[in-house]
Amino acid sequence: MTPETRTPPPAVAPPDLYGRARPDRMYRLLRPVVAAHLWLSKRSVRRGRPVPVVDRDLPVVVSDRRVEADGVVSLTLTAPSGDPLPPWRPGCHLDVRLPSGLRRQYSLCGDPADRASYRIAVRLVGEGSGEVHSAVRVGTPLVVRGPRTAFPLVGPGPHLFIAGGIGITPILPMLRAATDWHLVYAGRSRATMPFLAELEPHGDRVTVLTGVPAAPELLTRARPGTAVYACGPPPMLDAIKAHWSGALHCERFSPPPVVDGEPFELQLGPGGPVVPVAADESALTALRRARPQTVYSCQQGFCGTCRLNLVSTTDSMLVCTDRRPGRVVLDVRDSRDS
Amino acid sequence: MPEPALVLAPRAVTFDWSAVPAHWVPGEPLATHVMNTLHLVLPEGERWFVHVFGQALPHIRDDKLREEVIGFIGQEAVHAEAHQGAADHLAAQGLDPAPFVDQVSWLFRTLLGDRDLPAPVAHQWLLERLAMIAAIEHFTAVLGRWVLRAPLERAGADPTMVDLLRWHGAEEVEHRSVAFDLYAHLDGRWPRRVRTMAVAGPVLLWLFARCTRWLMRNDPLRPGPARLRDAHRAARRGLLPDLAGLLRATWQYLPRAYHPSQDGTTDEAVAYLATSPAARAAAR
Repeated sequence: MTPETRTPPPAVAPPDLYGRARPDRMYRLLRPVVAAHLWLSKRSVRRGRPVPVVDRDLPVVVSDRRVEADGVVSLTLTAPSGDPLPPWRPGCHLDVRLPSGLRRQYSLCGDPADRASYRIAVRLVGEGSGEVHSAVRVGTPLVVRGPRTAFPLVGPGPHLFIAGGIGITPILPMLRAATDWHLVYAGRSRATMPFLAELEPHGDRVTVLTGVPAAPELLTRARPGTAVYACGPPPMLDAIKAHWSGALHCERFSPPPVVDGEPFELQLGPGGPVVPVAADESALTALRRARPQTVYSCQQGFCGTCRLNLVSTTDSMLVCTDRRPGRVVLDVRDSRDS
Repeated sequence: MPEPALVLAPRAVTFDWSAVPAHWVPGEPLATHVMNTLHLVLPEGERWFVHVFGQALPHIRDDKLREEVIGFIGQEAVHAEAHQGAADHLAAQGLDPAPFVDQVSWLFRTLLGDRDLPAPVAHQWLLERLAMIAAIEHFTAVLGRWVLRAPLERAGADPTMVDLLRWHGAEEVEHRSVAFDLYAHLDGRWPRRVRTMAVAGPVLLWLFARCTRWLMRNDPLRPGPARLRDAHRAARRGLLPDLAGLLRATWQYLPRAYHPSQDGTTDEAVAYLATSPAARAAAR
């Protein structure tokens, strides 16, 4: 799949398409055109400019912290300068760098019209959220990036919003923007469900379900032409996907963590440095520590962009998902990695 | 208000070609083959994008752009393999695309491949190719927007093929700014933008025209020669993009102040991807 590298300038054009005994006419004509581009490239060396470093960090400070439900706190973030924050649309999230350096993504759940502050809400479930709950207070400075969106609200509706637990966060601002909508909000118990009071004024446009409702119950209000927006735990999303064949919008998640992995080693070329791969990380994660320029994309083993050949075999590996026992020697002299 | 940046990531789509007929726009062999050219040109072209973008990655000094380029690379790689599947299906139906694909392969791997150049010139050759890709991506976004709106199902076009084209078109609209932004970040010189468009536009048109002609000539169902007036007629039915629109689009790329986020709407692409059978099946 990798184009051959470092070939000398082409001597001839490919054969004619219709079998005539001469090189193909179009490609014969393209050779001098590409030669002109090469010549212009040589000329362009002189006035090249350095690449500017673009800083995407946005410093903010926690200006309010509230307990929204059992195990859920919300944080209000404002710019220390008091300047307006970058605009956003319902469905956007922030990348938040916590004081420990951990990075987590949280949906914006405030009002997009409020340019002075962002609001996020965090359920206590792991290391990152533990830090938010224990170490982040009013006045704590944080660095965020974004907003970006993986869950944009589009179309005139009707919209059926389905939220499971903390999955209510990206949906809340959508309720301000949508006109023809209904919300089904499910959670284990009312005590664990944030923002119930904020939903009160919407009356019977909001259905609150407790326990683990089945997909048909979540989809009661769906009609042909309804756009379903669902955010919640993966089993809930899978059930909705299986029961609903119309338009379905879900927030796209990061790749699943490595489970039951064995540690192994990567060697970067024959005689090259050896990079250990821990049991709970992918070979890609380890390789990127040693070679930040490594090409990859999906991190789930389907796009093929991270495939690297193994030295002295005809074998190759997808470094994002493949694991090999012992040590493998990667052919990383490949020019696209240099 | 500027649109907030969309998070770009590839989708693990699959298509079952087994039931797709040879003339998948019924009674429109020419329109069928104009769109089939994508299966012959894009796999090698998009692999070249991935290769060139992979070389650009270490030079990027903007974390947001880097993430977008990584998403772009995966989307393009999946597009290439999806169209490869459609090309293999053409071969199975008795229209072996190999002679044409071999030429395309020579274009991208040899003529536009890496050259043995001194490092500063090699870097400029990389930038030149990034500018070419930005110009090509301008057309893919225009065509993506076209295919999202084209009345293909009214003409009875095969739903699997329509889904391939619209899913691909929607992702082209989603990532339409990435190649432009990458070129602007690493170089951005306007003369280079103009000269690469001046070449990429006509060459693409030529490549697609000769590919259509070759497909019509080699179609085992013998639909007759590729005629311009059939193309005009299909364009009037909305089954092909019209030439005047493509020329206008080329012109729009040239002003210094142009940016791809100004044209097309991401919302249309997002709405299609929520209904696309292939994209939905791939959602995880």
